[in-house]
Parts: sequence; C-alpha cells; structure tokens
Amino acid sequence: MKALNLAGVGVLLVAAGLWEVVVQAQLGDLQFLPAPSEIASAARQAVADGELLGRTIHTLVVTLLGWGMASVAGLGLGLALGLSDRAYRYSMTSFEVTRAIPPITFVPAALLIFGFSLKMELVLVVFGGVWPVLVNTIGGVHAVRPELHDVGEMLRLNKLAKVRKVVLPAALPAVVVGLRLALSLCLVLAIVAEMVGNPEGIGNGLIAARQALQPALMFVYVLAAGLLGVALNALFRGAVRLLFPSGSANEERVW
Amino acid sequence: MTAEAGVQSQRSRPVGRTHRSGVVTGLAPLALLLVVWEVVGSPDSPFYPAPSSWWPALFTRGQDEDIIPAILDTSRTFGLGLSVATLVGVGVGIGVGVSVRADRAFGPMFEFARAVPPAALVPVATLLLGFDETMKIVVVVMAAVWPIMLNTRAGIRAIDPIRLDMARSLRMSPSRTVGRVLLPSVTPAVLLGVRVATPVALVITLLVEYLTGVNGLGALVGDAQRTFQPARVYALIVIAGLISLAVNSLIRSIEQRIRRLHLGG
Repeated sequence: MKALNLAGVGVLLVAAGLWEVVVQAQLGDLQFLPAPSEIASAARQAVADGELLGRTIHTLVVTLLGWGMASVAGLGLGLALGLSDRAYRYSMTSFEVTRAIPPITFVPAALLIFGFSLKMELVLVVFGGVWPVLVNTIGGVHAVRPELHDVGEMLRLNKLAKVRKVVLPAALPAVVVGLRLALSLCLVLAIVAEMVGNPEGIGNGLIAARQALQPALMFVYVLAAGLLGVALNALFRGAVRLLFPSGSANEERVW
Repeated sequence: MTAEAGVQSQRSRPVGRTHRSGVVTGLAPLALLLVVWEVVGSPDSPFYPAPSSWWPALFTRGQDEDIIPAILDTSRTFGLGLSVATLVGVGVGIGVGVSVRADRAFGPMFEFARAVPPAALVPVATLLLGFDETMKIVVVVMAAVWPIMLNTRAGIRAIDPIRLDMARSLRMSPSRTVGRVLLPSVTPAVLLGVRVATPVALVITLLVEYLTGVNGLGALVGDAQRTFQPARVYALIVIAGLISLAVNSLIRSIEQRIRRLHLGG
C-alpha cells in the first residue's frame, strides 16, 4: 500500500484556495470564471436532480460498448494481418493511410450519414478506438520470437492452438498497451460526438451548460469528464493486474 | 556492458521474421474501395458522393478561395501550439524530473489535468478567452504538452548520475549544469515526446476549429457539413489526411536527423 501523497493533496487544496480568493476578490477580468465554492454547489445540485449521474452513465456505457467493439475488431484484424504476410502486404498501406486521417474530420461525415443519433456516436467511437488495438496487435504478433514459433511447430500444435497458446500470450503486453490507449481515445471521441452530434451524455451537458451561461455547471462536467478518465484508467490497470498477476502485461505506473 | 551485449545479440539475430509492407500492393484495398464507390455512388448522393466529385467540390460557388487560407490558419495554430507545448513541457519536465519533491507535489494535479479530454476544455476556453487564436493555442497546448513533459521527465530520470557528479565536481553553476549536462542528455527523450505530441496537436487543432468555427480546415469541414455539401466534406477529409501524413513523416525525418547529429554517428 502506498502512503497518501500529502504534498500532492496539499498542492491541490492550495490551488483551489487561491482560485477561490482570486475570484472572490475579483482580481482581473474574469467575469465567467466560477469560484470553486460555486462549482461545488452546482455539483451538489446536479447530483441531487440526477442529471449528472444519468449523463455520466450514458457516456460510460457508450465508451465501454464502443471500446469493446473496437477491441474485438482490432484484435481480430490485427491477428490476421500479423500472422499472414500476404494479407499484410496487400492491405497494410491502406490501413496506414486511413489511420493517418484525424478521426475528428470524420465527425462531419458521420453526422451527414447517421444524423444526430446514438449510432453516429458509436460509429465514431469504434472507428477511432480500433487503430491503437490494431497497430499494437500487429506489432506484438510480429515481435514474437521465431524460437516460439518453432516451439509451436515442434509440439505439433494446430494453427488455432498455436495462436492461443503461443502467439497471443507472447503478444499480450503490446496488445494491453493498445487496449489502454484505445480506452482513453474512446472516451474522448464519445464526448466529442455528444458535443456535436448525439445530444446526450457529458459532452452534451457541457454544451448545454455553456449555452445556458452556467459556467459553474460547465466546470462540473469538465470535472466529471476528467474523473471518468482517471477512473477508467485505474479500472483498466486493476483489471490487468487481476487477470495477469504474473506482471508480464503490467506497465509501470506513471505517477 | 550488458546493454552493448544486448544490442549485439539483437543485431546478429533479428527478432521475428522480416515483414515487408509493400507500399503499392498495400494500397490495393483502398483503391478497390474507391473504385467501387465511384461505380456505385452518384455525384448527388447525400451520403456517399462519388470520389470524382470530391475535388471539384472544393472549388465551387465562391468557396474556391477558402482552402489555402484555411490550411495556413491550421498550420499556424498547430505550429505555435506545438512550439509552446514543447517549451512548457521541457521546462516543467525538467523541474519534476530533477526534484522528486516537486514531482510528488504536482503529480496528482498533472495526472488529473491530463485525464480531462481536450474536447471538454473547448467550451471552457471559449467562455474564458473568447473565440480567437489565443484560445485555440491554449487548448492545443493543454493537450500536446503531456507526452513532451512525461518523456522529458523520464529522460532526466534516466541520466547517468555520474554525469551530474561530474558537473558537481567541476563546480558548474546550476544554469551551466542545465545547459551543458541536462539538456544535451535529455534531447533524445524530448524528441520522442515531440514526435508523439505532433499528431495530438494536429488533431486537437482540427477539433478546436471544428467545434468553435474559428478559421482553419476544421471550421471549413464544419461549414461544409452544416450546409450539406458531402462531396466537399470528403474532399476536406482527404486534405486533412494528406497533411497529417506529411507532417508525421516530416517530424520523423527531423527527429532522425537531429538524433544522428546528436549521437555523432
């Protein structure tokens, strides 16, 4: 168990205190900057009327659903391209080119095709999330040492067993990194889609609060988005540690 | 010693088989898709206009002079944003890399700030800063600074303590130590951070422009979508993709050149 980071918590509190003082004393021209106390009371209200919870659940569900679909697609396609040199030769450049297009620019196309709907949000999340999984799976499969392939041959494993018992475990650390990158990307894309397309979730909460000129409520949604990001990341790390206790798939934590 | 041995064994025995991508053959599926699209789609389809109608759509109805200024606007926000993010990221990265105490103190704040999706910052930034270039750059910096900062910090941590002891025994002043020891040692890590931050900065530039309508390619795509010009949307997507490919390969070649210069090889 790690000791509580007192200094870190202290800095957060001091920053919030300074912020409160600056706004209350009206230093500078910050008429739209709400004080932390105002944000706190807006948060209490948003929690009380259930709006915050409902919106957060929507964003969470779409993110996880899209991430799941992107993971399955990326893993399947990545394994196919990683294992078959012919498939790789005859398609990889196409994927590289498509991947280079910033997913943001697909938002307008998705809006034109699917309208303001949940489908548009999901399509965008899946489309954006599939790339890290795909690229990392291919990289992981390609990095499997030739000796391991030889072991598979020697044990006379059939193709499926070889993939399951040799290739997948060896490629796992790279795949896990791709899955984690995809998860935070899916959250970002879900929020973008909600801001411009599907009028639900945290993203729409932000826009609605912005248009209603309720900056305190807007900050509540920014905080909610950040907390959701932190929580998803922590959950992912926890799940990886639980599923693969050997540590081969664990990454070093950042902070 | 062990590191050198590791490099040698890697060189004598390549890990994995070689995988040739085949630049031309690899484009086959994309080309096939476009051909099928061209045959099936019609120029007036509201969803899937034929690819041959994309390029002309860029230059119709008095919109033909918007493209170049938009590309320049996007380039400026992207370039300034990435530059500021590099300066801030390297500065803060050195700070928290050198001082473990500062790292622990500011770690939680940075971790939270990093977790906030950049898109969520856009409404806040427009409210506080208005719809202008400064707002765009602030959002880009908020998104692109993290990879640079984290890599700088990791680079500082990885510096051989002997180098710092050397600086101390030569009685270098702190500023000289930073300039002569820390910065050169950390350059490869910073370059890696900048390379990771480059696509992020570009995507976020387009995102801000799209969400706020403040100039640039992103705003142009948004306009085309709101006025139902699908062919124009697809044409702009292609342009954004080409720019992204060009920028990424440019930054990669710059990185390699500096690395070679730096390592003297």
